[in-house]
Amino acid sequence: MNHKLKLHNVTKEFQSEEVEIKALEDINLEVKPNEFLCIIGPSGCGKTTLLRMIAGLDYPSSGEIILDGDRVSGPSPDRGMVFQEFSLFPWRTVLKNIEFGLQIRGMKDKERREIAEKYLEFVGLQGFGNSYPYELSGGMKQRVAIARALATDPAILLMDEPFGSVDAQTRNVLQEELLEIWKRTKKTILFVTHSVDEAVYLADRVVVMSARPGRIIACRDIGIPRPRKRTSMEANEIREQLLMLLGSKHQK
Amino acid sequence: MRLPTKEEGLSLVPLIIVLLLWEIIAGYVIRDPLIVPRFSAVIFSIYTLRELLIIDILTSLLHFGIGMTLAFSAALPLAIAMGWFRNVFRAVDPIIEIIRPIPPLAWIPLAIVWIGLNHYAAGFIIFIGAFFPILIDSYTGFRDVPKVLVETGNVLGCIGNIKLIRYVALPYALPSIATGTRVGMGVGWMCVVAAEMFGVGNSGLGYRLFQKFYFLHQMDYVVAYMLILGLLALCLDRLFRHFVEDKLFRWKKGIVK
Ligand SMILES: Nc1ncnc2c1ncn2[C@@H]1O[C@H](COP(=O)(O)OP(=O)(O)OP(=O)(O)O)[C@@H](O)[C@H]1O
Ligand SMILES: [Mg+2]
Repeated sequence: MNHKLKLHNVTKEFQSEEVEIKALEDINLEVKPNEFLCIIGPSGCGKTTLLRMIAGLDYPSSGEIILDGDRVSGPSPDRGMVFQEFSLFPWRTVLKNIEFGLQIRGMKDKERREIAEKYLEFVGLQGFGNSYPYELSGGMKQRVAIARALATDPAILLMDEPFGSVDAQTRNVLQEELLEIWKRTKKTILFVTHSVDEAVYLADRVVVMSARPGRIIACRDIGIPRPRKRTSMEANEIREQLLMLLGSKHQK
Repeated sequence: MRLPTKEEGLSLVPLIIVLLLWEIIAGYVIRDPLIVPRFSAVIFSIYTLRELLIIDILTSLLHFGIGMTLAFSAALPLAIAMGWFRNVFRAVDPIIEIIRPIPPLAWIPLAIVWIGLNHYAAGFIIFIGAFFPILIDSYTGFRDVPKVLVETGNVLGCIGNIKLIRYVALPYALPSIATGTRVGMGVGWMCVVAAEMFGVGNSGLGYRLFQKFYFLHQMDYVVAYMLILGLLALCLDRLFRHFVEDKLFRWKKGIVK
């Protein structure tokens, strides 16, 4: 099998007060193991919905999602998710947040503390282990959420605009960190973003979606060798193409 | 104990003025201890009554303890069920809303018929008073658990109601439970006096205040007991805040303030 995740004719409709909203239409997608896939598209095109269905938090109206040969039928810790909004447990310290999945799994205190500390270092937050989420900045919170998602060692990492709420500098740093983590841990990453720049910098392949109902209108291999330069000619060219795709298709 | 700071000292000034005014008005303007006993007389009464006072305080705390324990252990499980399961809420809420407005004191006849003239009857009235505030704040806490936290739990392997309640909903709701308990303690304490007035025993602050001192027209004793009732409630509230809210909810700081 040469794909990790396969979406086959996935459609999603929401029933809300008489009207039916078609959020996603006919999504077909194959993701290779260890691939870094970015999904871009206008607001409301169903990116979050797509990730939620892969995570097992929601179900397709039709079609199927197949992971490692099995149909996805509910959430499981082998798919980590970083939510678009802040999602740390406010009553737990940073380390305890990172430990959460391991604790649920029944791992011993000492063992899980060690792992948590490892991932804390991974995201560069040594020294903040005993802070509470309210003591952290937005970017730090997202880093903790990433560490928490990584701690259970999921095969797939689903990230929904994880850097949406941080400033440009921090964002660049976090992108570097994420690439580093991805290289080290060999995960498959599905990364949703609004930013074409971010997609071109991070992804092996970029999926472009159209406005509602969300459809895949293009898949673009990036193919620039890493480490990439944000301002290189090739990057600019690809960016321009992607922006054009987005611009022409989502304006009616 | 540390010495009060300057600011705390400053807030004592109005208190002292009020006490002085009380003393002067009672002693030189009204001059009838049956209407307003002097502050100094009240303080002296507390001293005279000290042995009786200890017994009455202990009895009242017993009643209070029985009532609060019952209220808490009945309200919490129900709150979890109502806050977490929509259908339980729909089924139970109408019943709660019918019973809740009945003043706790209206239950006294039933309490006496059902339970008899004993400590548990007093406890029952306090239970009625404290139960609803605890229940309502607590189920609100469970009901308002943000969806994203539940889903975060889900994707990290925390699946199923029991695990979700234990690891996500309960910790989230704890501050609401504490708030409800604190409000419930306040209402429960108000019920102590009333519950004891009806002779469920032959001691207790409310019993003594109403059954003995009032009938003997010993107003300095009555006011002494009133002061003690107030001070005890203050102490209970402070203790609760110190040992429960401040210690357990450091994480809430960022949200509340
Ligand atoms: N639970 C729901 N009930 C009804 N409609 C929903 C629900 N969730 C999402 N939708 C609708 O589905 C569409 C896609 O929403 P989604 O959140 O997936 O968009 P998105 O691409 O993630 O947008 P953004 O970039 O702003 O985060 C929207 O039109 C939204 O109104
Ligand atoms: Mg979204």
